[in-house]
Amino acid sequence: MSAERAVPQAVVETAPRRGLVSRRGAGRWLAPMAIVVLVLGAWELCVRLFDIKAWLLPAPSAIATALVQDAGLLLRHSWVTLEEVIVGFAVALICGVSLGVGIALSRTVERSLYPFVIASQTIPIIVIAPLLLIWFGYGLTPKIIVVALIAFFPLAVNTVDGLKSVDPDTVNLLRTLGASRLQILLKAQLPTALPYLFSGARVAVAVSVIGAVIGEWVGSSEGLGYLMIRSKPQFLTERVFAAITLLSAMGVGLFLLVGLVERLAIPWSRARQHQSENQAR
Amino acid sequence: MQVTAQPATAAQPAVETGVKIRLDGVVKRREYDGVPLTVLDGVEFFARDGEFVSIVGPSGCGKSTLLNIIAGLDEPDSGAIHLDGISAERRLGQVGYMQQKDLLFPWRNVVDNALIGLELRGVPRHRSRERALELMDSFGLSGFESAYPHALSGGMRQRVSFLRTVLADQQIFLLDEPLSALDALNRAQMQEWMQHTWLSLRKTVVLVTHDVDEAVFLSDRVYVMSARPGRMKLVLDVDLPRPRPLDVLTDPAFVAMKARLLSAIRGANGREAR
Repeated sequence: MSAERAVPQAVVETAPRRGLVSRRGAGRWLAPMAIVVLVLGAWELCVRLFDIKAWLLPAPSAIATALVQDAGLLLRHSWVTLEEVIVGFAVALICGVSLGVGIALSRTVERSLYPFVIASQTIPIIVIAPLLLIWFGYGLTPKIIVVALIAFFPLAVNTVDGLKSVDPDTVNLLRTLGASRLQILLKAQLPTALPYLFSGARVAVAVSVIGAVIGEWVGSSEGLGYLMIRSKPQFLTERVFAAITLLSAMGVGLFLLVGLVERLAIPWSRARQHQSENQAR
Repeated sequence: MQVTAQPATAAQPAVETGVKIRLDGVVKRREYDGVPLTVLDGVEFFARDGEFVSIVGPSGCGKSTLLNIIAGLDEPDSGAIHLDGISAERRLGQVGYMQQKDLLFPWRNVVDNALIGLELRGVPRHRSRERALELMDSFGLSGFESAYPHALSGGMRQRVSFLRTVLADQQIFLLDEPLSALDALNRAQMQEWMQHTWLSLRKTVVLVTHDVDEAVFLSDRVYVMSARPGRMKLVLDVDLPRPRPLDVLTDPAFVAMKARLLSAIRGANGREAR
């Protein structure tokens, strides 16, 4: 049994390494921050030096001023867009995962539906959006549908891949323990698929923001996309840029949020990475 | 102490009483790249209730296919499988199967991995947990109840896998080279511990192994399988008294049995056939 005594020590040994990783994490943030500062500085300098008109290209300081001055307006429209993104993403998540499960479980479902899932991605969303406007009007519904359509694909495909990536020996083990098809799905396949699903979700939230803006551009009375369309003919270019800034922030924020949920939901995935990193050293 | 060995076909008992597993003329064919191949060619095998039986043979002789068939994961092309003297059409769930890989779920801790068999049968969690915790100590796992598999050594992971098989409480355990991934020292300890555990459980065990020492040390009977097409070539009863100490490996009777098995395996390989 002496060989096993070494194990807890090995666990303890990884602790200082975690400190190293977080220090490297701080470094990871420093580089992009420096790039942002550099680019914004050069931009500001160019605008002032060459006296570029604000309606053509506003300086970062002008955009910042717009962000502060129009904060109430921008936040109200941001909230509408965020609502479209979240509800659309939720619809896509439910539909994508359900269809993914259906495809992974049944050959018949796979053969009959999977080609359509892939084909649906070849139709540009910008073509469908005006039709949705005709059918559902100017409200939230057509935007939610656009978001759901665009976010659905990465979620469904990753769910299928994740469910199929289960070790066949693990499935056989559960079968010899008397597991039903449903139990195999719940106990082995779904947990195996979770890291795949989160990869899909990260892609999906990013494209969801794009989907919401497309939906708003085609026809709407509120939202950041609407605000951009309305500000453009008024030559309120700094407000357009302010809206773009908020949309980017929304995309990055949602992306990070999915990462956070992933870390909380599947701690074993990170533990495994730690282990393989340590072995590689 | 005597060494008894017979050709495999003569070893099938005439009376079914107390026979837990019985295979008659099991044939399995497979296609490899379009070439039909006979993997198992009339396998005769039996294990009495509470017996420890080993199968040794060259690699690729179809040992794993045979275990898959006994477990019910695969069906033979012809031949019969009897469990408890009854023809067993549906064997899945009746036969415990511990595979070479430990197949622990990385998202479950030691206890939750071990009690999966009971969980699948709908045993309430507090009761299955209780039973798992009772056995932690004798499996050398106490103190690691809530550890996750990535933090365990290979030997410990294998013991969790074995505990999972034991807790599922099936009457037959199939063990497919469970110790092959361990180093020699760990192996010897695990073999001794397995004998001890089996003596207290008294389940019917079928062990597939490459290691002749392991087979003789643990078994009541050892089968030697021939290279493809696989069939039983030799059956050897091991009537050394139990519990066997580790130094039985140097006992003359043990050495004689080992020599017999090794020469049969060499013959089965076909390389050094005289």
